[in-house]
Amino acid sequence: MRRTEPLPLGRAGHAWSLAAAAACLLPLLVQLPAALAAGTLAVGLATGALSWRRRLPGGLSALLALALAGIVLATFGFRLGRDVACALLAVMLALKPAELATVRDARSLVGFALFAPFSTFLLDQGPLSLLLGLLGAVLALAALLQLAEDESGDAVPATARHRLQAVLRMVAIGLPLALSAFWLFPRIASPLWGVPERVLARPGLSDEMAPGEWLEMMNDDRPALRVGFNGPVPPPHQMYWRGPVLLDFDGRTWRRARRTGALPAATTTRTGEEWDYVVEIEPTERRTVLALELPQAVPAGARQSWDLVLEADAPLTSVTRWHMQSRLPASFEPELSAQLRQQALQLPHGFNPRTIALARQWRQAHGPDGDAAIVERAMQMIRAEFGYTLSTPLPGRHSADEFLFDWKQGFCEHFSSAFVILMRAAGIPARVVTGYAGGRRNAFGDYWIVRHEDAHAWAEVWLEGRGWVRVDPTAAVAPERIYDTIDDRTGGGGLARLPGIAPMRDLGDWLRRGWNDLVLGFNAARQMALLRPVGLDGAGARGLVALFAASACLALGWMLWLTARAERSRDPVLRAWRRLGQRYARLGLGREPHEPALQWVARVGAARPRDAAALEALGRRFAGLRYAPGGAAQDPRRLARELRRHRPA
Amino acid sequence: MATSLRQRARARFDRWARRRAPATLPVRFDRHTIYVLPTRFGTFFVLVLLTMGLGALNYNNNPALLLCLALAGAAVASLLQAQLQLSGLEIHAIAAEPVPAGSVLRLRVHARAAPGRVRRGLRVECAGQAAPLSLEAGAGEAVLALPTLRRGWLDPGRLTVSTTRPLGLARAWTYAWADTPLLVYPAPEPSGPPLPRGQGDGQQSHLDPAGDDVHHLREWRHGDSRRVVAWKASARRDTLLVREFEQPLGANVALDWRMLPGLDHEGRIRRLARWVDEAERGTLRYSLWLPGQAVTGPGSGPAHRHACLRALALLPGESGAPH
Repeated sequence: MRRTEPLPLGRAGHAWSLAAAAACLLPLLVQLPAALAAGTLAVGLATGALSWRRRLPGGLSALLALALAGIVLATFGFRLGRDVACALLAVMLALKPAELATVRDARSLVGFALFAPFSTFLLDQGPLSLLLGLLGAVLALAALLQLAEDESGDAVPATARHRLQAVLRMVAIGLPLALSAFWLFPRIASPLWGVPERVLARPGLSDEMAPGEWLEMMNDDRPALRVGFNGPVPPPHQMYWRGPVLLDFDGRTWRRARRTGALPAATTTRTGEEWDYVVEIEPTERRTVLALELPQAVPAGARQSWDLVLEADAPLTSVTRWHMQSRLPASFEPELSAQLRQQALQLPHGFNPRTIALARQWRQAHGPDGDAAIVERAMQMIRAEFGYTLSTPLPGRHSADEFLFDWKQGFCEHFSSAFVILMRAAGIPARVVTGYAGGRRNAFGDYWIVRHEDAHAWAEVWLEGRGWVRVDPTAAVAPERIYDTIDDRTGGGGLARLPGIAPMRDLGDWLRRGWNDLVLGFNAARQMALLRPVGLDGAGARGLVALFAASACLALGWMLWLTARAERSRDPVLRAWRRLGQRYARLGLGREPHEPALQWVARVGAARPRDAAALEALGRRFAGLRYAPGGAAQDPRRLARELRRHRPA
Repeated sequence: MATSLRQRARARFDRWARRRAPATLPVRFDRHTIYVLPTRFGTFFVLVLLTMGLGALNYNNNPALLLCLALAGAAVASLLQAQLQLSGLEIHAIAAEPVPAGSVLRLRVHARAAPGRVRRGLRVECAGQAAPLSLEAGAGEAVLALPTLRRGWLDPGRLTVSTTRPLGLARAWTYAWADTPLLVYPAPEPSGPPLPRGQGDGQQSHLDPAGDDVHHLREWRHGDSRRVVAWKASARRDTLLVREFEQPLGANVALDWRMLPGLDHEGRIRRLARWVDEAERGTLRYSLWLPGQAVTGPGSGPAHRHACLRALALLPGESGAPH
């Protein structure tokens, strides 16, 4: 194309471009740290307002961009990750209106802004992000519509509603093609390049447990897992979703064991019934795949560590589905290696002297074979004296001592930690296990929801002959001593008890699960499963491509038909009249473009006397309906029907 | 090298497109003669979508993929809409009033289409000039300002009708070749000797400004001689009036190519063109003698003027080749 003078931007085009950029930026801001989001918003508002007056000189805006990028990097501590890249994009987008002067600038702003919803989805795939992102995309298209009209030199002022309707129509027309590509375009089974991780972790189960860090997670009522059972369902008190096993303790923080990666998986024998289920895990950015105690086999895409915790091959950055079977262990690693025994007994020196003294005292009382008795004695102590509360002070140096002898109140973090320290001091190998306990059944979809607030920590002790045995000291607390729970704190319990609220919430979650199932969790494996009913699953990728090509052709045909339909007249009488004209045109008696209806009728009548009477009557009625005052008195539908029926004799 | 390759490809495409297009007006565009290619912004948009799509597929990020595909679907729909803007459009006539060479020829392009579809903001291009075309109730007109350089037939060449609406992602265009040549009159010389009055057959009816053949009076205009002022009438009316004389019948002005030996070929044409205009302004009857042609006139009026100027415009060049 010929190079022409850059077209200056009109006011409407300017306003639409700014609105589109703002709408695209919004979902991204929601995902950023609050301070950064506020700063970016301020920059965006300032440049947007400035863009009405003048264009910022190139040098100054480059300098500003550098400074802002520096600020962003400093906010994240100069580390690189997915969220840092998204924050940088947000800041640059906020700065971009500074150079808004021509139609070309506006188009590049809109094109660039489309990356904002895209990067939002890399951070979060929830319904809010999706809604805001789609809104941004629609506004971006509307801005392009306005810019193209400005460029064509024939911008008819139109209302925003009008323009949005035009855009939505275009999106709707393109939707069949988009959806067929979505379901049928061959997916990549394993990524070509890895997903960069986030610098700022989201609250959730981690590989560590330090005092006070769990409260945030336990205040979070977002779903963590959704589980559908095929067949028998375990009773809620057996629903232990086993996550990271924490073996190392430094006096304050529990951590996963290092240097155990090469160890073979523990040997087990199983008992009881088998549970067959599908877990849908919300994105965690971590690798742990939560399974009921204990998974029978390792699902594809995951590995099993020595402590029988499943780890995905890649961090879970989107909703994933895992089909698994679990059975309770009859024996779990009955032969403990010397190295592991030593690690499971390790305690840092100089911590918790009172706990250690108590443990030694119990050991003397029960003798060398009294492991099971010591465990039972500890549980009795908790049952008799301890209470459950979330309002606990931060512990000092001797966390177990303070909990066991002074407060005698706490939540799972304190119970499991102190219990394991007590066991280790008594010479019983023990470890902290984190995960989720319990769940709530959703009646709408017959599945179970496990929320972040169900996060739990318990203990496993190693007993001769049985191996690792699960012990949950928190569950031993007597019901009358449960004081301060999440429900009390958030008022969620009270609110949820109102009639109608809980079913609404269940319905919402059920819809969300359907969305997860249908859209978010769709991947290469599920795509192949789509081919099975069609009988094309043997053909693999080629079958998929063939199916995609076929459906894309169908979709394109549908688009053509829909788009061309606009040409058809909306008036059925006029349409029928034109069809009638076409029938005579085939006989060489078509109506000339400027020939009045009655004149044409007379001409045809002269050439074909057999049609004359019927055609003239129809012509008169048509002319009467359209042009005569009071012509609306006759029934247009009847006339249309008769026009359609008329054939040249 | 790359440029010449592109030019050659362009020329090949033009020849191919020419063969496919109807030769004469009216021309009705259909999908066989409409071409659609992405604009520069469209290419950028496609790159944006490809980046998004590749990233979304790699991360198996379904919302991002859905967003990308919805945008792509809308883009494809916009291509169809762009094509349909032109499909069914008919250019049924082009016309222009002849103008002297060097001034701007206003070329009117008349278009029509079945009503029902909105066709606005189309762009008509011809000989490097462009004008918008919007159809109201199935008819529209674009007026192009074509520069003219020399007398004779102006071949407008190829008309391009294009649109980048609705989204500016793609340009749909089509060609029409108008076989209607447009006439450009010779440019009259800016100044020179006055009309050779009395050289024709009407020599015997000598004009006498002081005579009695007053036809009527008119207001004094700048440049009127003092001798023609009707003083008595002016005194009565309190404003300056001058006498106008009717050219006596048969007092024809003969404009003759052979009277101008001192001028070159084009110079003669330009002087004759000026004289034709002056004679027409003075409402004289005039005839035109040109080499190798029958004498035009005598006569007067717009049709006669057009015949004279047309003959002058189409006079072959000095070397005998058509100009």
